[in-house]
Amino acid sequence: MRMKTLEFLRNFQHRLSRSRRWLFVAVITLCLIPSTTRADGIGDILSLFHTITSTLQGPIGGALSEMRKVSAAVNNFRQEIIWPLALINRTRSFVSATRAHYTGLMSQIEGLKNNSATLALPMQLESMFRGAQSGSIGQIPSLYTQVYEPVALAGIAQPMQRNLMDIDDAMAMDSLKTSMVSDQTTQGMLTLADSLEQQAMSTAPGSASMVTAQARVADLVTQAQLAKMLAAQLRQEATKLAHQNATLKHSATTAQNLFKQIQQVLAHP
Amino acid sequence: MNRPTLSRLWKFVRNAGATICGVAILVALLPSKARSQLGLDPCCAMMSVGLNSISGLLRSVVAQPLGSIQQNQQQSANFEQKVVFPMTAISQARNMAVQFEGQFVQMRQLFQLPISSATLRTPQLLEQSLLSGNPGAMPQITSNYSALYGTVMPPANAPQSVRNMVDMTDAEAQAAMKKAVETDALANLELQAAEQINQQLQTAAPGSSPILEAETAAWLVRANAYTQSAMAELVRVRSIELANSSGQLKFSASHAATLQTTGNQVLQQGVQ
Repeated sequence: MRMKTLEFLRNFQHRLSRSRRWLFVAVITLCLIPSTTRADGIGDILSLFHTITSTLQGPIGGALSEMRKVSAAVNNFRQEIIWPLALINRTRSFVSATRAHYTGLMSQIEGLKNNSATLALPMQLESMFRGAQSGSIGQIPSLYTQVYEPVALAGIAQPMQRNLMDIDDAMAMDSLKTSMVSDQTTQGMLTLADSLEQQAMSTAPGSASMVTAQARVADLVTQAQLAKMLAAQLRQEATKLAHQNATLKHSATTAQNLFKQIQQVLAHP
Repeated sequence: MNRPTLSRLWKFVRNAGATICGVAILVALLPSKARSQLGLDPCCAMMSVGLNSISGLLRSVVAQPLGSIQQNQQQSANFEQKVVFPMTAISQARNMAVQFEGQFVQMRQLFQLPISSATLRTPQLLEQSLLSGNPGAMPQITSNYSALYGTVMPPANAPQSVRNMVDMTDAEAQAAMKKAVETDALANLELQAAEQINQQLQTAAPGSSPILEAETAAWLVRANAYTQSAMAELVRVRSIELANSSGQLKFSASHAATLQTTGNQVLQQGVQ
């Protein structure tokens, strides 16, 4: 077999002419030369690497670098401009100092007594309605009656006059009682204001809005209580006006009756 | 076997061998095969350099800024959690709302304490209407007022100008009483709203509390408007009172002039 193969190769060499042999070598050489495809593959890889690196350095790297700058700038802006910790602490100290400075002064003013009555009964009544104790409301009528006397008895005054006395007394006492309740709620409101200020001393910028909302609600309650006091004043003033008007009506009737009586006297001398 | 048969067989084997050799040469000449057969290809070196370059760029251009950004964000998050929105401060604000609720309820109950004081039947009815805080009781105010203070005197009892003044005064007094009832009713609603808003504050967050604050501010504006309305009524009451004083002075002057004229006439008749 080996011999046959060697013989075949010898015959193959002999059969090929010189020109054919060159042609065969040329074909083989052509096949062995790095093809165009292969050259193109290397170029593509280089181009791909170039694209990747330029993309990393350009759009991605640039954007990330800008993001880093923006992130750092935002962080600095928050910590140094919007919520600087030093300023926050300084503001808390200011609240604390304000509270320490004014609380004592205001307490002294609040503690001043305005009582001015000199006699026993008026002193008791005054002390009662300035006491700001709603639990003492029940004692007002008796003290009031001791100072201002009760409504005249039926035989002493006319029914209309007695009614006027009674409604005037009632409105006066109602208003005194309302003022006692108001004074008590004022104390409560001052306590709430104090709590709000204490909270403000330790609050954070993020929770301050919650404290502010709470103060607003307390403000609304105060406004409602103020409206109730105004309603009491309206009742008082309206009663006073109605009383004056009723007196005028009574005077007109009395004058008319007097006129009639004079006419009767003159007609029958 | 004869010779022609052997010759054809040899020819076939020869062609097949040539074909196989050709195919083998072609396979051997394929580019990929050539690269693997030739050891370290220049492409591998290029790939290595390129990948190293990319890796370096990823570390320097991508990873480093990303790490810096992450650090900034972490620092920012810590700052917000510890300085701007600390949970303890938020909880304290919520707890304060819980404490305030009790105070508000107590204040509302204080203003609901009975304060009526009239002792006679007719004043009691009017007082009851005035303190009811019920706008539905308006018609009763008119009737109770008339029962207590009377109506405008008949024409025979007083001049028309006096009757006008009396009617005007009654109207204003009743209007003020009705406004007092309205104001009480509105104040009760404001107190209810305040308690409801306060309940919302007990579970509010820093982001939602400004909304509640805005709602409360709106209620405050409304409350101020109602107070202003009541104040206007008070001004009207005082105005009518002042007008009455002026009217009475005018009547007195007129009566004095009439009396003087009548006196002169009587004296002149006596002289004659």
